Amino acid sequence: MNLEMREISKSFGPVNALKSVSFTLGAGEIHGLLGENGAGKSTLMNILAGTFPPTSGEIFINDEAVHKMNPHKSASLGIRFIHQELNLCNDLRVYQNLFLGQELTKNGFVNKKEEIRRAQEVLDYMKTNIRADMLVSELETAQKQLVEIARALLFKSEIIIMDEPTTALNSHEIAKLFDIMRALKAEGVSFIYISHKMPEIFEICDKYTVLRDGGFIQTGEIKDIDEKQATELLIGKSFTHTNLKEGSTSSVTPEVLLSVSKLTGTSCKNISFDLHRGEVIVFTGLQGSGTDELATMLFGASPISSGSVMLHDNSLSHKNIKSVMKAGIAMVPKNRKERGIVPDLSIQQNCSLAYFTAKHDKPFISDPEERARFERNREKMEIRVGSAKDAITSLSGGNQQKVIIGKWLEIDADVYILDNPTQGIDVGAKFAIYELIHEIVRTGKAAIVFSSEFPEISQLADRCFVLYKGEVQGVLPYSELSEVKMMEYSTGAQ
Amino acid sequence: MNFKNTWQNISTNYSHWLSFGLLLLVASIINPSFLSWSTLSNQFVQGAIVGICAMGMSLVISAGMIDLTVGSAVAFTAGMGISVLNKTGSITLCLLFCLGAGLIIGLINGLLVTKGKIASFIVTLAAMTAWRSIINQLGQGGPFTVSYDFYEPFRAITAGSLFGVPYLMIYLIIITLITHIIMTKTKFGTYIYAVGSNAQAARLSGIPVDRVKALVFMYAGLMYGIAAFLLASRLTSIQAASAGYQYEMEAIAAVAIGGTAMEGGRGKIIGTLLGILMLRIIITVMVMANVPPFLNGLVQGVIIIIAVLAQNRKK
Repeated sequence: MNLEMREISKSFGPVNALKSVSFTLGAGEIHGLLGENGAGKSTLMNILAGTFPPTSGEIFINDEAVHKMNPHKSASLGIRFIHQELNLCNDLRVYQNLFLGQELTKNGFVNKKEEIRRAQEVLDYMKTNIRADMLVSELETAQKQLVEIARALLFKSEIIIMDEPTTALNSHEIAKLFDIMRALKAEGVSFIYISHKMPEIFEICDKYTVLRDGGFIQTGEIKDIDEKQATELLIGKSFTHTNLKEGSTSSVTPEVLLSVSKLTGTSCKNISFDLHRGEVIVFTGLQGSGTDELATMLFGASPISSGSVMLHDNSLSHKNIKSVMKAGIAMVPKNRKERGIVPDLSIQQNCSLAYFTAKHDKPFISDPEERARFERNREKMEIRVGSAKDAITSLSGGNQQKVIIGKWLEIDADVYILDNPTQGIDVGAKFAIYELIHEIVRTGKAAIVFSSEFPEISQLADRCFVLYKGEVQGVLPYSELSEVKMMEYSTGAQ
Repeated sequence: MNFKNTWQNISTNYSHWLSFGLLLLVASIINPSFLSWSTLSNQFVQGAIVGICAMGMSLVISAGMIDLTVGSAVAFTAGMGISVLNKTGSITLCLLFCLGAGLIIGLINGLLVTKGKIASFIVTLAAMTAWRSIINQLGQGGPFTVSYDFYEPFRAITAGSLFGVPYLMIYLIIITLITHIIMTKTKFGTYIYAVGSNAQAARLSGIPVDRVKALVFMYAGLMYGIAAFLLASRLTSIQAASAGYQYEMEAIAAVAIGGTAMEGGRGKIIGTLLGILMLRIIITVMVMANVPPFLNGLVQGVIIIIAVLAQNRKK
């Protein structure tokens, strides 16, 4: 199927989200759609999926104009949109989710047997290990993402739109996904692939299109450009691919700030390490290796079975989160949308929450103080906002994350835990956050970062701890850091 | 464009003022004498007791929960309050009992929701039934009546006025202002909205989510206690089986009409005040327009749905 989107524009009130963007896709083509957050990628894809109509412009499929696109028409044309957020019902079973809205029926009743059979077929084809009759709530995040993908494979599709499909997947699962994509491509299925991860785009895509600030920038063959050029195109300025660790003198001091010994929870055990003033330690590991729990345990958010944590030579009680915060530990949680932002509160209120619980002891709160608190962070991190009183949800992902980090900078902690701090945000904002972490540790604090992306780890880590099945499998100092070694440790190969 | 944006801003943020103004306009067209001080202040007087309960309900709903104990809690506290008054002869002790009983009723709800991990709907449904049953048993079907000796001074608490402003109107306005300040000017208010909006993120910001929920129920209970004290004074006789009947429904309706999101996280206290006044105005207008009283419920029901529909459209 050939798709052409011609001079598509879309405005939301005064905001021009798309300005006369054209996009073409041929049969059996994997097309990378590149752009920072807010560049207009999702808007363009939502127009293709019929979520909302364009303000102007036309869509042609096999050279025929399609008018009044809506979700139903889009689906019947074989266009499938795999959303970045997981749109699954946790309390239904996997097969029920897969067939949701398109149930197979027999004599007016749902044909459960057939649904399970067909669902299992697809799940097995994807080599997942997921049983079709499992409850979605029993699945790991990565498995949920695979179920989301399976949905697109269940029915015959012509065009599959994938918006950041690999955020929760490890490299092994990504490889499997790419195998499936290649097999479908050979059958003539086309893909539109949205990702912030350059190596993935260069591995799987045939063509690329770059959007920036709602406008069309460039399209072409992937083989004609390299990662550096692509990055420059999408952020619009010459972006030198520097490594922040290279050339800079290390700020690590011999003084131990945080000393963890034999920390054990339900999924990780016997974790011991010393965190020094000025140091960044990165913890990494595959899904289920215990990194998630370690982050929340250190912050007092999940129970500790045994072991101890010493901060400034005082034993930390981990009674509740507030006491840990007061002792001097801050945590930027992962999954910004679910655990970071409070969607009904304004930007400045979100920025004040941690200060309120840890430091504020006056009877009343003050609007000017809250505003000043946010202004400080806005300047430091170049957060782009209209008004500090707008809802936090009006910001792009990168700017939201900067507000959340600002919220924690305000309590002036000694140890900063950052759990996947750059999840789903664009290159420019990522780099700004890396610089910020280096600045934090240079001022005599220390950071523990949880991450699974090697480029990120190499930007940050003084030491990298690799977990495997809940235990420390290996420790790599910055000088010995390599993706291969990291993979060997995290898969238990070494 | 600019005008349109300003209008949008006004209609989203001040929609309850707009509908309130519209209702006043309709009322004054139906009966021009509606806009007199005596009719207007009477709306406050009629709405005061349920209005005070609705202030508590605002907090509960903003925190993402619900409280159905209102009517039973008011009946229990008012009935027992009168007994305390008759036994001790002290209005102060009666007031202290009402406040204390309200707080305890709220605390029990709060503990069952947080420590017992039961949905607030179920906890307060059970509590609603239980408190009503207790006061029915204690009253044995008969009323709790203020004895003749204390009748005058006790009744004066709600019957008089100050410079032409009825006491009940003053109480309602003061309590609305206090609740408004708690919600907008203290961190506790921010915590309530945060818990109702995203409890997970609130917890990871160090907010003691369970304590906030329990305190919200206690504040609501305190409001019911105040309402019970005022109701006892106003009626001087409390029917165990029917006092406070459907207060919870009217309080929830006022909160909904006032623009508070039923799923929590968003809402304005002033909106709740306007909500309770609007419910009262509708009833007054219907009396003026000679609508049969049996149809009050129907009209109120329709108005609630229209008000909430109008809010949904904005989202």
